[in-house]
Amino acid sequence: MPPKRKNQAVVEDDGFESMEEEALSDQETLDRLKESFDVAAMSKRARAQHQTDAASFLFKKSDQWDAPLKPDHANRPLWIDDGGRIILESFNPLFDEAQDFLINIAEPQSRVSRMHEYSLTPHSLFAAVSVGHSSKEIIERLNRYSKSALSPSVIAYIERSTSSFGKAKIVLKKTLSYIESDDPEILQKLLQDPEIAACRADNTDGLIKEAAPKIGVMAIPGTKMAAGANQRLQSSADPHAANPQEPANPGDMIAALREEDDDEEVAQVHSFQIQSEKREQVIKRCQVIGLPLTEEYDFLNDENNTNLDIDLRPHAQIRYYQEKALSKMFSNSRARSGIIVLPCGAGKTLVGITAACGVKKSVIVLCTNAMSVIQWRAEFLKWSNIDPEDIAVFTADSKNMFPRDAGIIISTYTMITSKRPRSYDSAKVMDWIRSREWGLLIADEVHVVPANIFKRVTYSIASHAKLGLTATLLREDDKIEDLNFLIGPKLYEANWQELSEQGHIARVQCAEVWCQMTPEFYTEWLKPNSTVQKRSLLSVMNPRKFQACQFLIDYHEKRGDKIIVFSDNVWALERYATKLHKAFIYGQTPQAERLRILENFQHNDMVNTIFLSKIGDTSLDLPEATCLIQISSHYGSRRQEAQRLGRILRAKRRNDEGFNAFFYSLVSKDTDEMYYSSKRQAFLVDQGYAFKVITKLEGLEQRTDLAFHTPQERRELLLEVLLAKDSELAEEKISGDMFQSKFASKDGRKKKTGARRTAGTLSELSGGQDMAYIEYQKSRNKELKTKGVRNAYLRKLQSGYNNMKKHKAADL
Amino acid sequence: MVKAVRGALVKCDASIKAMLVDIDSKNRNDFIIEELDEEHVLVKETKVNELKQRLQDMMKARLKEPETSDSEG
Repeated sequence: MPPKRKNQAVVEDDGFESMEEEALSDQETLDRLKESFDVAAMSKRARAQHQTDAASFLFKKSDQWDAPLKPDHANRPLWIDDGGRIILESFNPLFDEAQDFLINIAEPQSRVSRMHEYSLTPHSLFAAVSVGHSSKEIIERLNRYSKSALSPSVIAYIERSTSSFGKAKIVLKKTLSYIESDDPEILQKLLQDPEIAACRADNTDGLIKEAAPKIGVMAIPGTKMAAGANQRLQSSADPHAANPQEPANPGDMIAALREEDDDEEVAQVHSFQIQSEKREQVIKRCQVIGLPLTEEYDFLNDENNTNLDIDLRPHAQIRYYQEKALSKMFSNSRARSGIIVLPCGAGKTLVGITAACGVKKSVIVLCTNAMSVIQWRAEFLKWSNIDPEDIAVFTADSKNMFPRDAGIIISTYTMITSKRPRSYDSAKVMDWIRSREWGLLIADEVHVVPANIFKRVTYSIASHAKLGLTATLLREDDKIEDLNFLIGPKLYEANWQELSEQGHIARVQCAEVWCQMTPEFYTEWLKPNSTVQKRSLLSVMNPRKFQACQFLIDYHEKRGDKIIVFSDNVWALERYATKLHKAFIYGQTPQAERLRILENFQHNDMVNTIFLSKIGDTSLDLPEATCLIQISSHYGSRRQEAQRLGRILRAKRRNDEGFNAFFYSLVSKDTDEMYYSSKRQAFLVDQGYAFKVITKLEGLEQRTDLAFHTPQERRELLLEVLLAKDSELAEEKISGDMFQSKFASKDGRKKKTGARRTAGTLSELSGGQDMAYIEYQKSRNKELKTKGVRNAYLRKLQSGYNNMKKHKAADL
Repeated sequence: MVKAVRGALVKCDASIKAMLVDIDSKNRNDFIIEELDEEHVLVKETKVNELKQRLQDMMKARLKEPETSDSEG
């Protein structure tokens, strides 16, 4: 797709340049291209020219001390360094304006209360151009906001990143991937790259001849079908168009260009097919050699795929940030692939649904588990006027297809990527999914998907546009970059603080509570022969932490909060919950029991606290919860921290005056937990959350009714912890959740400890002695089981009433 | 016969005390005269500096330092 007219000059300029480069030998060209597009190399070169002074080493790469300040610098909000890093003062009067602009051209890195940090990346600049900013405009505006003059390396960087926009694009035809361009030179250049050439689906020229005419039809949107057919005949007859190996007559090209209107497409396009499974590799490679591929879906003019009758219901109100996000996706009325990042509870689902309503083609939605599949379906029915028949669900339980040509299918990543042999039904559905073209692929919680799995998804599903939704675009393993190529760049990232100020998500007070280790526990912790699991258990089971947890639960229950306590460690979870007499849910809890507990938590005033293992981390919708206590966690996972915080962001009461949700993270002092906790908070701190450190809970010392008050009890607990087998402490495996394990495992279940020997009399055992038994550590879970009326008479009364109702209904 | 030893009172966190005790037990009980309670120990005055040094080594070895946050490492 050619760029808009205003970029035309730039592109032609660049085309001229690349012609010159063509004169050099291939390898040289490549090296030169590579070098000039390498940001690091560029800023290094610029850096070498900088002078250094005594303080330079403190600022490292961002030292700009010799850049002259503009005389009115106080009124300008930006600092821009050579590496493309931008710092924005949020207290500046121009803040709003500058932020709106920066969000379009740069990626937000960190947004704390007074300073926001952004960085320019090729992806973000690329997205900026397709939203309609020209490179000249970007440079001009940056210069206007900047306190010092823009350094030449930044200018060059912006120009280079933006100029190659729209030269080549990757398209989908009949479920196969092609790279097409209106300039055969470009394709030729791409094919000269050995890596891309290797990814070609077919190495014969014949293929191109086939492909070109087909594309001829597609490339003329807005013209009549007749004209398209005409064009097809022409182009297939034209050997130049059919074979990009021979350079097309440039005169023809320009003439073709001129013929079309500003917004209309070029008549002739050239293309070659690439192997679908190597799609990601090609996109990556093209980025490296400086010819990034555009990936846009012109859904309005797609006549091959049937339109889907779907619209938002009138009551659906899109919030302003959702609109902003979508406007970046649908700028110039094409759907661009990419990722939208919104905090948990800020309406990601609605964004997905609105996108589907925008594209109006067949849509496939992928979620992480069957539970969210059902949620998505319900949301679709709630927010859009789609015919319920048109929404199919593809999970282990139900394998539907929609009856008409277009529709929506909702499934899980596991179902799509499973390699195990399928049942007849699901194999049938899968083949059907594979065989057709999809307008839009919505990938929910996209951060959890390992790259290789997602690759398989993109391979089996031919979709024109892909939309990734997530709250935390983070992975600890740096695989997040891969998503750039698999799905697309980050299109939009909401500002958490702004949303919470406006009441779209709850305001949260974060606190890190430091709990002293007791000397006995710490002595054990110090022992060099203890295993990692044992040590982490010791710090989780630290009696002081236990007391702090109990204290906080008491305090917040009295305030009327609903509390969730998170523990990654199932062994500890069980101990805590039974000791404190609260309900708990973990991987092994049966579904029915889970639902009952959750229901009670939501509606029963007597159940204000539940303990959850990491199954509660994501996609658990509990708007009642207002307070969250974390007693153990998964090492330094920033994502987990943010996702857990997300559980209370959607608090129902968030719009009450002065309402605050609370997030406590309990940390045992002087253990590894301290180290991990500082890592975990990094993401939330970047989002502007401040963690208050509480070293001492007021009033904790005076309480004598807390658990493990006496040294005796503490020693018993310690003994219990030490006796716990490592196998019991193994990481929880969650069945049905693909990202943990595919199989239900019994490993996490508590095993019976061996025989116990006690001395006593027989009469004592038989109850002959006057002794009464009472169960102290009853599980709260069991108590919640009894439902309905116990008394025989009342039960009878109720069943009679129910029968009456049934009869009435039958009569009607 | 009564033997007098000059001692220094060390006041510390419970966890640090656990470390001190650990050091002491590994070195033939050369440092600590008396464990008073969770947060106080009496150590030999002459050994205070050595104990400090050993404690520092131990902390370095056993505890991960919280990262001093700076993106440009």
